[in-house]
Amino acid sequence: MSTNANRALRNKPVTGGDRLGKRTWKPGSVLIFLFLALAAAFTLFPIFMGLLNSFKTEGEMLNNILAFPSKIQFANYSDAFDKIDFLRSLWNTVAVTVIGLIGIIVFSSMAGYKLSRTPGKLSGFLFALFVMSMLIPFHSVMITLNKIAKLLSVQGSTVGLGLIYIGLGVSMAIFLYHGFVKSIPRELDEAAVIDGCGELRLFFTVIFPLLLPVTATIAILNALWIWNDFLLPLLMLTDSDTYTLLLSTNMLFGQYGNNDWSAILAALILTMLPVIILYLLLQKYILNGVVDGAVKG
Amino acid sequence: MSIFHRHKTIFTLLGFVLPALLFYVIFFLVPAAGGVWYSLTNWNGLTRSYSFVGLDNYVEVFKQDPIFWDSLLFTLKYVFYMVILQNILAILLAVFIESRASSKVWFRTIFFMPNMISMIIGGFMWMFIFTKVLPYIAEHTIFKFLDQSWIGDPNFSFFAILVVSLWGGVGYLMVIYIAALQGVPKTLKEAAAIDGANAWHIFRHVTLPMIYPALTIGLFVTLNSSFKVFDAVFSLTGGGPGRSTQVIALNIYEEAFAMNSRYGYASAKAMILFLVVFIITMIQLRVMKKREVEA
Repeated sequence: MSTNANRALRNKPVTGGDRLGKRTWKPGSVLIFLFLALAAAFTLFPIFMGLLNSFKTEGEMLNNILAFPSKIQFANYSDAFDKIDFLRSLWNTVAVTVIGLIGIIVFSSMAGYKLSRTPGKLSGFLFALFVMSMLIPFHSVMITLNKIAKLLSVQGSTVGLGLIYIGLGVSMAIFLYHGFVKSIPRELDEAAVIDGCGELRLFFTVIFPLLLPVTATIAILNALWIWNDFLLPLLMLTDSDTYTLLLSTNMLFGQYGNNDWSAILAALILTMLPVIILYLLLQKYILNGVVDGAVKG
Repeated sequence: MSIFHRHKTIFTLLGFVLPALLFYVIFFLVPAAGGVWYSLTNWNGLTRSYSFVGLDNYVEVFKQDPIFWDSLLFTLKYVFYMVILQNILAILLAVFIESRASSKVWFRTIFFMPNMISMIIGGFMWMFIFTKVLPYIAEHTIFKFLDQSWIGDPNFSFFAILVVSLWGGVGYLMVIYIAALQGVPKTLKEAAAIDGANAWHIFRHVTLPMIYPALTIGLFVTLNSSFKVFDAVFSLTGGGPGRSTQVIALNIYEEAFAMNSRYGYASAKAMILFLVVFIITMIQLRVMKKREVEA
């Protein structure tokens, strides 16, 4: 096909609609929009209902669960704030996530880089050893992990929990780094070595900055995973002082036979808030990171 | 010189890999190997000593544990519905969203949002909907059919779990499918349109074969995550009423930590879960790889 024909095609897309007149494709487009709007309403419905009722008193909620609150009151929020010890739980969650993230990124980038650069059987074996774990479900590990955590007395502390996340997270990160390093020219390593750079300094000053795109992907995926993980903290954290946001909220639930929904809903909204705000701010990066992680992983 | 050089390469390799390897071995490999070993023992959390019992645990799972088989069957049913519904819905949303111009970003943002939230929180939110909001709507509007025991009746609670899981999972796959759709060259679709193909034919014979790699990822992701489902069920029904919605992960968790602390026996169940996931994933990857080549 000549370039002219190509250009003509691009300028005037030939669709069914064009040939049959606008009227025939418009209903389809409207239907699609309606479908998407309904699906969006469905997606937001539970969050919206939670938000709406978190501002009501128990009586107001019983009276009409769908109505807007007669006046905005934050009593439920101050109640929930105390009950889930919000600031401490938030701090614990941040601490676990940050420790896990830093460990995963620093250790995996080093390992992924060297494994990718070194040919030979040993390197291949080590890489296979790491990648292997991606097939093993967490549930096959958790029982013995629990025992080992007790033995090493990392059980019961947020720092210990962060360290465990490093162990569980490195394989996927190494896999992603390993693939990405191939796109960085080897000449860079050699030039730096001739300049008399030590290997480790070479890596952190020259190579690591070049890994930024994949580092961002890994940071996003692992932050999401660690922040939202429930089962591992449930097994590892025994003292309510060390609870993460999810554990505190979960405890709030068990506490009441007949659930005190106004306080619970406020707690759920409080727990969601940090993530939703970050999501709306960093949406583009998060979505790109998720796609990259899924496609390459 | 060359021997020195080779040793140096190996030492730097080990130096770079060691920190990651250390954490990985302690917190993953040793526990994984331990799981295999303990599945052959009668170790429990209460006593210090335990003994080797061979395959007794596995025999017991197969012969005397109907609850485990119920949970396995329930999980299979869940996986079946999830794999089909989640992928179809995600492709549908992706195709529809790609056809929009200005509202594209809005819809994508909204549909992905539940993925940011832990399914523990999502499950609790939905529990409020199922136990409070829907009964209210049923009582005060014409939608009387909404008045069901969504959490308390096993038939409905399966449906409730599906709804919550789809709510939380579709957005993730949708994002993957959108990325795949953007990689389909427009000229191909236009050529098909010139040849007189309608929208469905273009999708079926042009777009779909082009996004097969994404479909492989989508199926892999759904299979893997649905077999291991825990959070949504834990927060929504806790496996109940009774044990009617107990999934494998919950069964293992209860066996080890909540009920009887039979660590050895629970490890055997965990091994079975691993084998099931492993075999199904391998089959699926092989089949899909073949199709990709043919298409």
